[in-house]
Amino acid sequence: MTERESTSPLKLGLNVLWSACWTGFPIKLAIALLFLALGMMHFEARIGLAFLMYLASPVTVFAMPILSMAFEPHLGEGFGIALLFLLCIPIDIWAMGVVSRTVFLEKLRLEPPDGLALSLWIKTALAGAVYMPILWFVVGFVTENSIAMSHALFETDLLKAVPVAEKIGIELTLWGSVSLGVLLVMLLIGVTLVGRVIKSAAQSAQPTGQSYQDIITRWDLMRVPADQGLMLTAVTLVGVVLSLLFWAGLPVSTPHPHECCKKPEVKAQPPYKPVDALNKNEKAITVLAAQVESLEKMKTEEEAAKEKEKDKGKAVKAKPADAKAPVKAPATP
Amino acid sequence: MMEQTPPSATGLTALEKVIAFVDERVGLKTIQAKMLNEPVPGGSRWAYVFGSILLFIFIMQAVTGILLMFYYVPTADHAFASTQYIIHEVDYGWFLLSYHFWGSTAMVVCVFAHMSQVFLWGAYKSPRELIWLVGLALFGLVMGFGFTGYLLPWDQRAYWATTVGVEIMDKTPVIGDFMARFLKGGATPGQMTLSRFFVIHVMILPAGLMGLAGLHIFLFRAAGPAGPFRGTPEEIKAKTDYFFPRQIWKDIVGMVTVFLTICALAFWEPVVLLEEATPDPGDYHPEPEWYFLFLFQLLRLKMFGGEFGQFVGAMALPGAFMALLAALPFIDRDPERNIFKRPIALIGWIMVMAMILLFTIAAIINREFLD
Repeated sequence: MTERESTSPLKLGLNVLWSACWTGFPIKLAIALLFLALGMMHFEARIGLAFLMYLASPVTVFAMPILSMAFEPHLGEGFGIALLFLLCIPIDIWAMGVVSRTVFLEKLRLEPPDGLALSLWIKTALAGAVYMPILWFVVGFVTENSIAMSHALFETDLLKAVPVAEKIGIELTLWGSVSLGVLLVMLLIGVTLVGRVIKSAAQSAQPTGQSYQDIITRWDLMRVPADQGLMLTAVTLVGVVLSLLFWAGLPVSTPHPHECCKKPEVKAQPPYKPVDALNKNEKAITVLAAQVESLEKMKTEEEAAKEKEKDKGKAVKAKPADAKAPVKAPATP
Repeated sequence: MMEQTPPSATGLTALEKVIAFVDERVGLKTIQAKMLNEPVPGGSRWAYVFGSILLFIFIMQAVTGILLMFYYVPTADHAFASTQYIIHEVDYGWFLLSYHFWGSTAMVVCVFAHMSQVFLWGAYKSPRELIWLVGLALFGLVMGFGFTGYLLPWDQRAYWATTVGVEIMDKTPVIGDFMARFLKGGATPGQMTLSRFFVIHVMILPAGLMGLAGLHIFLFRAAGPAGPFRGTPEEIKAKTDYFFPRQIWKDIVGMVTVFLTICALAFWEPVVLLEEATPDPGDYHPEPEWYFLFLFQLLRLKMFGGEFGQFVGAMALPGAFMALLAALPFIDRDPERNIFKRPIALIGWIMVMAMILLFTIAAIINREFLD
């Protein structure tokens, strides 16, 4: 059995997709940063999802619009998001070409056919467009239901008394394991599909007939440009232009301030003068002492007045009693 | 007299002459050859870029940190106002501060990635035990950077994260109380705490990190790269290459990618301060920085309640884990490096990563529950 026949579609798909996604990533990231600096797009809280979608653009490029229409996964605002996906296409085709040629030479020891990059990219992107919405639906459905079930489990009388931290941890483990398991299975099926596409392309390819050392040298030199000086100059120039554009677009102040980060009014503190402060404090203490004294005086006067009124009241109350006394006195013997 | 001029010096440009002058005195070409012509067994790999990336992030943190220090005032009265000033008044100050903030996160992520790579590749095994031990010390310093830097903006988040962190530290037997009192400089975090954290953040930790990083690189060059953990000797020999140019190219691409990622994160979520620090948390639920969240959530479990439970959760377990990591090269003496032939190591790594992830997400859910 040759290596070509023994390599599983899963392994083949993983080899090509993993490397192709990361090969184009730095270039896509540079463009994304430029768009962010120029205010052409703003990401929302789901930055992790946005990252995964751009990283896996060889399979999500056609799937993303379908997902947006069918399931509304909102990545953010701005036309830069769609433009970035468009710009990903040539980058992904290049990355797919470099990676697939390497895999054909090193792993399969086959001569890479002409137009391999474009044909593989089209097939992969189309497979992604069909498969990604299915994956999204299945994983979303399973996650939603497993969350509901784990919540319901802890609503039962038996588990109601479980403390909050433990409850959160156990619930997360329950629904997280189920949805992660389903996600992994779905991803493996998807990668196997891509592997089958690559394997079908390998059916018509011819063996290289070179030694391992020659093959290594060949795929290694594939990455080395013919004119290194020209390549370095071009890369430097592009870097300089992108840096200038970045600095030109970079906002001087925080780019998207919202309610929570409005500029507070900070008033400058007057210079501190110890003698003035002492005098001021002494005056304030004198005034406060006088106020306290007057308050105490007022209180004493009020209390005295109250006492007087009390005494008066007592006297008034005592008079009718005295008046009654003669009445109460026995009139008859 | 012209005939007496050495023929090698005649056709040289000004730059070449300067290089020749320095080379004659310090042996520049020998150093260059030593640094760049290091053989990489099995050839260059993307998995090897994390060490260089960490060095790059540290340099960028130092540069942005120095620029921030031009405006930052490390006093309890002015720390918050000066940070607000950096965000709102200084040109591109928001970007500098946000880059520095996200850079610290990137550093922690890359330390985890680097340590994972070394662990999975079995590169801690003999004769590389010392590299692993120094790497562990560097990991501690990076965590220290994150912990001390978090207080400096002096907002509620900073104040309470530090309070929680110092309380956790207080649980350490024998030295815990002293450490907590030393760091706080008083009963509650205040001016003394800020001064001490600032000095540790900008003076002690950078000096320690530079020294240990130098030692780490020296030990690495002395032992040489471990190379891939699988492949036939024929394959490894066919792919073996020098450090320059392929590995350097990969390192540069890795650094550029990390730089762009940090910049993008600074745009996505620029640093926003909460209210100025006060000893009253108000509506704010105190919690530490994200990379300590898993430990914080662990301590919320009932089994870690009470004085003894808190000690076990906060100090004994993490301490035992770090001791196990330090002893790892001396316990695991099997020369087998292939991770797929080391099931205990592989399962252990997966378990630790899953636990950290699980408890971190649980802490985020718990935060929403509290809010």
